[in-house]
Amino acid sequence: MLLLLPLTIPVFGAGLILAFHNPRAATRTALVLGGVEIAALGAVVWQVHAHGELQQGRYLRADGLSAFFLMGIAIVSGLVLIYASGYLRHMGEGRFSSPRWFYALVFLFLFTMISVCLSANLGLLWIMMEGTTLASALLVGFYNTEGAVEAGWKYLIVCTVGIAFALFGTIVLYLAAVKAGIHPASALDWVSLMDAAPRLRLDPHLVKLAFVFVIVGYGTKIGFVPMHSWLPDAHAEAPTPISALLSAVLLNCAMYALMRYDAIVSRSVGPAFPHVLLLIFGVMSMVVAGLLILVQRNLKRLMAYSSIEHMGIIAIGLGLGGPLGLFGALLHVFNHSVAKSLLFFSAGNVRHNLGTLRIDEIQGISRTMPQTTAALLVGGLAIVGLPPFSLFISEFAILSEAFAQARYLVVTLFLMVLSVVFGGFAFHFFRMLGGEPDRRHENSKLIPSEFIAMGMAALCVLFFGARIPHAFSLLLREAVAVLR
Amino acid sequence: MGLVGIATEKILSSFSVFLFLTILLLAVARRISTSVLLFGLQSAIIAAEVFATAFQEKLPEVYIVGALVFLIKVVGIPRAFFLLVKRLKTVRDVKASTTPTQSVFIAAAIIYLSYAAVHSYGGAVHVPDDPLAAAVSLILTGAFLMVSRKKALMQMLGLLVLENGIFLAALITTFGMPLVIEIGIFFDILMGLLLMGIFTFRISDTFEHLDVSKLRRLRG
Repeated sequence: MLLLLPLTIPVFGAGLILAFHNPRAATRTALVLGGVEIAALGAVVWQVHAHGELQQGRYLRADGLSAFFLMGIAIVSGLVLIYASGYLRHMGEGRFSSPRWFYALVFLFLFTMISVCLSANLGLLWIMMEGTTLASALLVGFYNTEGAVEAGWKYLIVCTVGIAFALFGTIVLYLAAVKAGIHPASALDWVSLMDAAPRLRLDPHLVKLAFVFVIVGYGTKIGFVPMHSWLPDAHAEAPTPISALLSAVLLNCAMYALMRYDAIVSRSVGPAFPHVLLLIFGVMSMVVAGLLILVQRNLKRLMAYSSIEHMGIIAIGLGLGGPLGLFGALLHVFNHSVAKSLLFFSAGNVRHNLGTLRIDEIQGISRTMPQTTAALLVGGLAIVGLPPFSLFISEFAILSEAFAQARYLVVTLFLMVLSVVFGGFAFHFFRMLGGEPDRRHENSKLIPSEFIAMGMAALCVLFFGARIPHAFSLLLREAVAVLR
Repeated sequence: MGLVGIATEKILSSFSVFLFLTILLLAVARRISTSVLLFGLQSAIIAAEVFATAFQEKLPEVYIVGALVFLIKVVGIPRAFFLLVKRLKTVRDVKASTTPTQSVFIAAAIIYLSYAAVHSYGGAVHVPDDPLAAAVSLILTGAFLMVSRKKALMQMLGLLVLENGIFLAALITTFGMPLVIEIGIFFDILMGLLLMGIFTFRISDTFEHLDVSKLRRLRG
């Protein structure tokens, strides 16, 4: 029953919030419901940690890997809800663009992403993954400006086509499983597929074909180059809290799906084939996004390309495999989502105060917005992977695994991209932070909700850089154990 | 053999040919409404194929899937499209970026390619080449329509043709996925179309046209 709780709360919550026409009441309801939802997710994570995997009926299941991703969802969605409560204060009452619609859609979006992590069945996982696109498309186009409508349409079309390929891959895997003698009713269950994976070896072509379609399909949602075209647009045009949710939760959920398939395919036809594909997509995403970071003119597009780069890093960790590679990849999933939320929150503040996100129009914010500047600095230094921040540890783990496997080409490209990205971020940030501020803008401080959200994210980035708590590393180890 | 038995045999042996026909006709269709009719026809052929499979393999669940295909893809979606065309008051032309002749050649090339691609896998899955090639060429045709037709409505239609291909591939290789999953997929398609419908209204409101090739403000 415990697994049904985090799924029912957001659905009923979405309906409940729509009943509140007063923006303040809607916001308060959303915060309370968010708190309850996080508690429910926490209970699931705790149960999995204490008693092992949970199963509910044939379609819902939570194991160590799900628990790890659910924890990430709980933390980031908590931060986003707190931040949004202040961010939406200027929003008027449009037809579909009022705070109550915003929160209702956010809760539906959360519902789909949580269901992705709780699906025991690969078919259900696909359905919910498509659901994430549907639930978030209206949020991407929320402002209804020309750019937002264009970004929303592009997002909807590109991701739906991409995910259609993932459906085809799922069908091919199903076919291989049925042919290998698994009963059709359970031929899409992840556990029975893992158990029967060695028998799938009878048809290596089918399994490989399935993985190619799945990596292209879910890779579109992850934002792998060259299927990334929707990602910068959607991140830049969506309201800031949504940008943070897209980058820090949605991309991770798609990565989670890919990890599940990778585990099955590695066990049946050997890790060489899927891992080479992951390495190719990972390196390609890293290199292309790293170079594009240099030429960005919009702060949020800069962050979006950085997300593509980090998804590439995670794919490389996954593609290297091995204890350190997987450990680094999963740790990086978590670290990236916290640091990127912090950066998006700061970008949102800049937009609120200066009315623009164009990097060449932002100057001297270190004098007018000292708190936001501090957040941008912490987030920026963390995202380029400098010690003592948490992303350094995960990137270092992935690099050591690459060294241990003597993959020098990967190592070289990895380090080159990291230094290019460092240069790009330093270049953009110095221009924005330094210089003479525009006289028209007064000094501005953070309001409490923004201060809490950004402060918590910054503390998290710093804390996990200093040491990884014991309970967290146990969760991480359980997640790695599921995949191996 | 009863009348139903004969009909089943005929459907299973000849539906691929009819599907290839709809592909070629879709390539030359110049009006959105014609394309929608062709999509409805194509879905009707697939629905017949679903019923025939259900009858032949004696799978009661598959009858439900067939009924869903009929209700959603043959009746529901074409009606919704006609409504959209009427309400949006858009020009009826599909705004193709290839001439009809070129389109037919491309469609023919797609069919040929599909046969070539299927040939190597046909043996592995114990399915005759024709239906599998039909499924693959539907997928490719859908993708082709999406990139070569500039109207937002035609992109939606291309997506539906592509989805028809995936559905057909699942049907002929595995007699379809488990029923619950199948229903979930249908639900997703419906919601997706609803959202795309909302977005076409927003595009025509904010840009005063429906030509998605002109949506190119966001770049880089």
